[in-house]
Parts: sequence; C-alpha cells; structure tokens
Amino acid sequence: MSAGRADAFALVTLALAALVAAPLIGLPLSFLFAPGGLAEFAGFVPEAALATLLLVLGVGAGTLVLGTALAALVSFCDFPGRGWIEWALVLPLAMPGYVFTLFALGLDVPGIRSTLGAVCVFTLVLYPYVYLLARAAFLAQSRTLIEAARGLGLSHRRAIARVGLPLAWPAILGGVALALMEALADFGTVNLLGVRTFTDAIYRVWFIAFDRDAAMQLATLLVSVTLTLLVLERLARGRARHTQLAARGDVVPPVRLRGLAAAGALIGPLLLVGFVVGAPLAQLVVWAAESVSEGLLAPEFATATRNSVLLALMSAVLVPTLAVVLAYGVRASRSRVAGVAGRTATIGYGLPGSVVAVAVIVPLGWLERRIDGLAGTGLLLTGTVIGLFYAYLVRFLALAWGAVEASLARIPSSLDEAARGLGSDRLDVLARVHVPLMRTGLATAALLVFVEVMKELPATLLLRPLGGDTLAIAVWQATSESLFETAALPALLIVLVGLLPVALMIRLSGRRGAELEAAQAAGAWAEEYEAVRA
Amino acid sequence: MSRRRLLALLVGGAALFAAAFAAVVIATSGSSSSDELVVYSARSHYGEEEPFERFAADTGTDITYHGGTASELYERLQSEGGNTPADVLITVDAANLWRAKEAGMLAPVSSPALDAAVPEDLREPDGAWYGLTLRARTIMRSAERVGPDEVTTYEGLGDPRWKGRLCLRRSTSEYNVSFVADRLAKDGPAVTERMLRRWMANDPEILESDTEVLDAIADGDCDVGLTNHYYLEREREEDPDFPVEVVWADQEGRGTHVNLSGLGVLRDSDSPAEARQLIEFLVTPEQQSVFQENNHEFQVAECCDFKRDPIDVDAAGARLDEAINLMDEVGWD
Repeated sequence: MSAGRADAFALVTLALAALVAAPLIGLPLSFLFAPGGLAEFAGFVPEAALATLLLVLGVGAGTLVLGTALAALVSFCDFPGRGWIEWALVLPLAMPGYVFTLFALGLDVPGIRSTLGAVCVFTLVLYPYVYLLARAAFLAQSRTLIEAARGLGLSHRRAIARVGLPLAWPAILGGVALALMEALADFGTVNLLGVRTFTDAIYRVWFIAFDRDAAMQLATLLVSVTLTLLVLERLARGRARHTQLAARGDVVPPVRLRGLAAAGALIGPLLLVGFVVGAPLAQLVVWAAESVSEGLLAPEFATATRNSVLLALMSAVLVPTLAVVLAYGVRASRSRVAGVAGRTATIGYGLPGSVVAVAVIVPLGWLERRIDGLAGTGLLLTGTVIGLFYAYLVRFLALAWGAVEASLARIPSSLDEAARGLGSDRLDVLARVHVPLMRTGLATAALLVFVEVMKELPATLLLRPLGGDTLAIAVWQATSESLFETAALPALLIVLVGLLPVALMIRLSGRRGAELEAAQAAGAWAEEYEAVRA
Repeated sequence: MSRRRLLALLVGGAALFAAAFAAVVIATSGSSSSDELVVYSARSHYGEEEPFERFAADTGTDITYHGGTASELYERLQSEGGNTPADVLITVDAANLWRAKEAGMLAPVSSPALDAAVPEDLREPDGAWYGLTLRARTIMRSAERVGPDEVTTYEGLGDPRWKGRLCLRRSTSEYNVSFVADRLAKDGPAVTERMLRRWMANDPEILESDTEVLDAIADGDCDVGLTNHYYLEREREEDPDFPVEVVWADQEGRGTHVNLSGLGVLRDSDSPAEARQLIEFLVTPEQQSVFQENNHEFQVAECCDFKRDPIDVDAAGARLDEAINLMDEVGWD
C-alpha cells in the first residue's frame, strides 16, 4: 500500500471524525466567548461535584459487588436453572433507568429521593455491565491456575478469591467504568430523585435559567469527568486482553450446590430480576391495558409510532454505515492520528443527550444561516430530519463503532494479505472475507442504534421537524402531565424493543455447543458490548 | 458472497436509502404558507384546545401546532432565526414571555381591540405580548385536617406547625421560579430568603407536579401545599368530593400571586396580520369563557373573585437568575 493511499484513508477518517466530534469539541469554547458565564451560578459547581463524586463512589461500589458476586455465582457454582438465571440476569439492561425510577417512586420506598436512593437505582439497573464482563472473564479462566492454587493448599472458595478474582479484576473494573459512564450521562433518574449531579445542574441552568453559555461550561466539566473515566476504562481493558490471552485449557469446573444453597442461588437472582424488570413491566402492561380500554391513548399514537420506527430504521442504516467507513479508515491508514480521530468521534455517547442536543443545534443553526444566505434554502438543517440524523450520529456513533471495530479487530490483517496474495483486490477482500466475518457485528450495531434512537428524547425534542412527535416524546408529554396510564403503552413499546438486543445476545450464545465455546462467545459478546458502550 | 452481489447490494442499498432519505427530508420540510399559522406552544393540551379550533374553522386558516417546553421552543427559535416557520409563541408563564421579548423574538402589535380587552398589567406596554389566561399559585389545604383559617399567607407555610406536613413541587418548575422572582422583586432578598428558609425548615416533601401535590394532600401524605388553582378544579372533575380546598393567600396583604399564560407575534412571522387576528379572537369574551370552562383558568379581562397581587413582569423577569440561585441555596430540590 503506497504512502499516498494511506494518507487518503487518514484524511477521510479525520474528516468524518471532525464532523462528528466538532460540536462536542466546541463545548469548551464557551469559556472563551462568555468567560464569566458560570460566575452567575458558581454555587452549583461544588454541589454538583460533591453529588457526582458520591454517585460515582456509590454506584462504583454497588455495581462492583453485585455484578461480581452474581457473575461468580453463575460461573463457579452449578444449580438447577443456572442456564436460565445466567441470561435472566442480563435483562435489567433493557430497563431504562427512568422507567424503573417511576415504578420505584410509585412504591413510595422511604428515602428513595436521595443520593443513596439514586445509588440503589443505578446499581440495580447497571450491574449487568459488571456482571457480563466479570462472567466472561471468569469463564475464560483456565482450571489449571485454580487447580494449582488448590494444590498449594487453598480451599476451592479461597482459590477463587485469591486467584480467580484478581485475574478478572481488569475486566470487572472495565465493567464498573461503563456503569459509571451510564450513570453520569443519565438525566431522567437523577432529575426524578432530586439528586444534584452535573446533569441536573446543566438542566437547571439551561432549561430554567435559559443560560446556554453557563450550561455548556458545566457540560465541559462533566465531559472532563467522563473522559477521565474513559481513560481508566481503556487502561483496564488493555490489561484484560493480556490476561485472556494467557488463559488456556478447560474452564474451571463449577461446584454443585444442593438444598438450601441451590434454592437461594435460584430464588435470589429471580427476585432481583423480577423486581427490576418483571414488576415494572407488569405495571406498564396493566396501565397500558387501562389506557386502551378507557380510550386514554396518547393523541397521534399511530403517527408517533410510525415516526419512531422510521427514524430508528434509517439511523440503523446510516450510523453503522459511517462507523464502517470510519473503522476501515483507521484500519487502512495505520497512523496514530487516524486512531485518535476514531476514538474522538465516539465521545458523544458518554454525554447526556441534552448536552449533545444543544451542542449540535448551535453550530447547525449557524451553518444553516450561512447556507441560506448563499442559496436561500431556508431551514435546510434544523427544520428537516437532517439535523436530527446528525444529532443521532454524534450521540450513537460510538455504539456502532464499538461493534464494528470489535468484529473487524478479530480479522487479522494477515488474512487480508493472504487474500490479496491469492489475487483478490480490495473489494474482493471486503466481499468474501470481511462481510461474512462482520455480519454479527453489523447486525449488533444496527440493533443497538435502532433501540437507542427509539428511546432518545432530548435531541429529538429539540430537533424534530414540525409534526415529528415520537414514542419517547409521547411518554415524556404524558408523564410531565402525570398521565401515567397514557404514557404506559408507548413506554411499554420502548422497553420491549429494548429487549431485542438482549434476546439476540442470548440466542447467539445458545447456538454454540461446548461450554468453552459458549464462554468464548460470551467473552466476545461482552467485549463487544463493552466496546460498544465505550 | 460474490463480488457482483456485494456491489449490487451496496449500490442498490445506497440508492434505496438515498431515495427514502430525500423523501423524508422533503416530507418534513414543508414551510409555512401565508394562509397557515404555525403556533409554537408550551400549553399542555396544544392542538386540542377549542378556541384555536374555532378560529381555524371561522377563518379557514390552517393552524399547525408545535409543542414543547418553553426552553426547547426558545432554543429552536434562536437557532431558526429569520427563517422560523412560527408565527405565534404561546407560553404558560410570564417569565418566558419576558425572556422571549428580551431576546427580541417578539414583534410589537398595535391593536386597539387588544388594548381594550387586556388590562394594562397583563400586557407588554408596546404590545410585544398579551395575557391569554391567568392562573393563581396559591395555598391548598386538606379539607379534612386543616381548617380554613389555619394558614392564610405564603409566609404561614413556614410556621413550625407544618413541619413534615408541607408538600411542594420541585424548584425546577417555572411556576415556582416565577413565584420566587416575584417575591424577590416586591419583598427584597432578605424577606424572601427568610420565608423560603422557614419553608425548608419544615422538611417539605418535594414532588414532580402540582397534581402530585394535590394527590399527596388528598391521600394524607401532607396537609398543605402550593399549586396552581386550576389543577384542583381538574381533580374535582374526576372526583367531586376531592378532599382538598383552596386558600386564596395574602388577602390581607398584597393579594394572591397570579401568573399568566400569554402569547405574542413572532418578529419573523410571515403572516403577522393573521397572527394578530388570532390573538384578538382568543381574548374575546366568548373564547375567554371557553378557556375558563374547559381548563378553569381565569379570564384576563375579569379576574378574579379574590384580591390578586398585581403583576410586574419586568421587575420579576430581572430577578429570575437570582430566584434560581436562592432556591438552590436554601436547598429546595
């Protein structure tokens, strides 16, 4: 490959990354344009910093303990129904935090409107990240290491604690970082529970005080916290890969539980999933049925469903396509700059949607006025779906990129070279080597983007064209009026659609036969999910 | 997969996607024509309100609604600039009218009919906006556990006897921010802060909406609260025996705090004359009584059967940021 060719790839990657990351990189500029912007709300910063810190510590500890314990349970113990429990424990991933919070608020749990309450809610909804990664790491461990530890006189339990856990540590930390980023980007839950994190401060300053500059400056502070977490997560992941390569041989044989222990191992997780997923879902079903029978359906429910599906479908094509272009650019150029550009393009996912929404509408509006001045095209960007798709791209490119990159990374470049050596050209390699190997990754990317676009609220609210209400908007409108029955049917549809990626995950791993293969599949899936969420 | 199949798939897929994309862009880019009014409205039941439908039927004007929160509509208008399809902006809160006017979004309307129909403190002096309906933000008490004379002033909600018995809506509610800004403008920071600190000393339960505050009083979770008056009327429509009573606050003092839902013509409207006609139509006595009957808000022309505190939108508007900061300092979630 000639140097000129490689540069062209780097250039395409850079251009695409710049397009996607520009609005977010522009956030700190608000400190230049309005230096005193935050002074007006100086009291918000220490408060937000403290609440965010408490949340990070609490959710970090909570997901670490719960996720690791559950992963250890299903990896190192065997009990009736383990196959089901293993996958049921992933289901809370499909439950949007604010939906569960609404349900928990309805139960009148004392003290739930507090930082501790928020920590509990986030722990219950986000532990699957730690669970998935820890489980994959446990299953990838070789029995020889544990057996060696036992040979040195440790009991089975202590062998796991002294050898198994430390080996999985990097993967567990990676999972914790992912859970924390989700918690930091969340708005619905902290707003409902009255916890004053950075997201809440941004909301107050922007939505209530209409001070866009101060909001962008708060957002910059939040971005720096998120970036720190991203770096930590990268570090943890890098080491995790190393340990997985070192692991060979059979998986650790699980210990068979009996009697009370077996019953507890089955019932505990069932209660957990029943509480986090089953009960809220049942509540939604009851409300949805009431809304249908009483004719309390959200106005224009059909239009909203159509709009949601249309937007989600088109994004599910658009975003993964650009992710493929980006990932190929990075792979082909082999330059560090392109690699960094690829990373930069994906920071949008670690940010609250409302921040992305403002960060996108400001430059778009500016550009639109310039284009209009030249060509008289009017509201070409913010008045049509173009602006909305752009916002989805900024926000969700990371999802598609993660899945695509993970599957591309599993194709060694020696395979490309072999195919080229056998006389195939670039397109041939793509058609006959890459596409078949990347099919799963592409499907995952499309599905994740589809689900997230269905759920997306703040950017849709701000950038939707006239008459472009979606299901998420219908839920928001109804809940802000306390019309929970009316909100139930659209909310139910969103949650059910969210179950799709989890179902796909279960199905794919169920197809493999041997346990080791399943473990490897789970590891790959978890890695994909991890990369995706990063 | 063969090379030809992949090429065909790529080209076909790209063409199909491009066509669909273009179709959606064109379908969503419908700009407003002159016989159509586009209304950006923060009112909750936008698009379903009878007076708007009547205007559309009477004049043959198509009205397109675009709903959202005040801040979302504001950002949208800012970014759309001179190209906005919107003709009329409706808000549910005086502060948001003040912000829109400060940002130069509203065009002054000169209309003798409007000046006659809307009292002076309920419209902008140059005609940038007009009040549409009034809503009192006042004290609600349990009909079963609290007597009519036990609390009669906003100050009184800070009495220690309401410790653990007070329910408030979140401080991010625009109604609460406007209320505090209005107190700051009229009573000054020291008095206002003292009142809020006393409220907070009662450990109020903070809820999401006015409706939840009323439900909490009815269910016995609290005894007193602060809400807009018409939410109680809505509850009574569902349940005539709803056990909550309204207290018109500060009748011995300045009167009960009243906020307004209002509207104005946007500076970049392409049909300002029709937009003005819509406003004139909405403040006619017939339509005003429809708002009163359907949503239980007060008419701008003849409010109310209690003493209302006069509105000074400019003075309160200038205090909005101060209000937000103060509510944060005293710990109102």
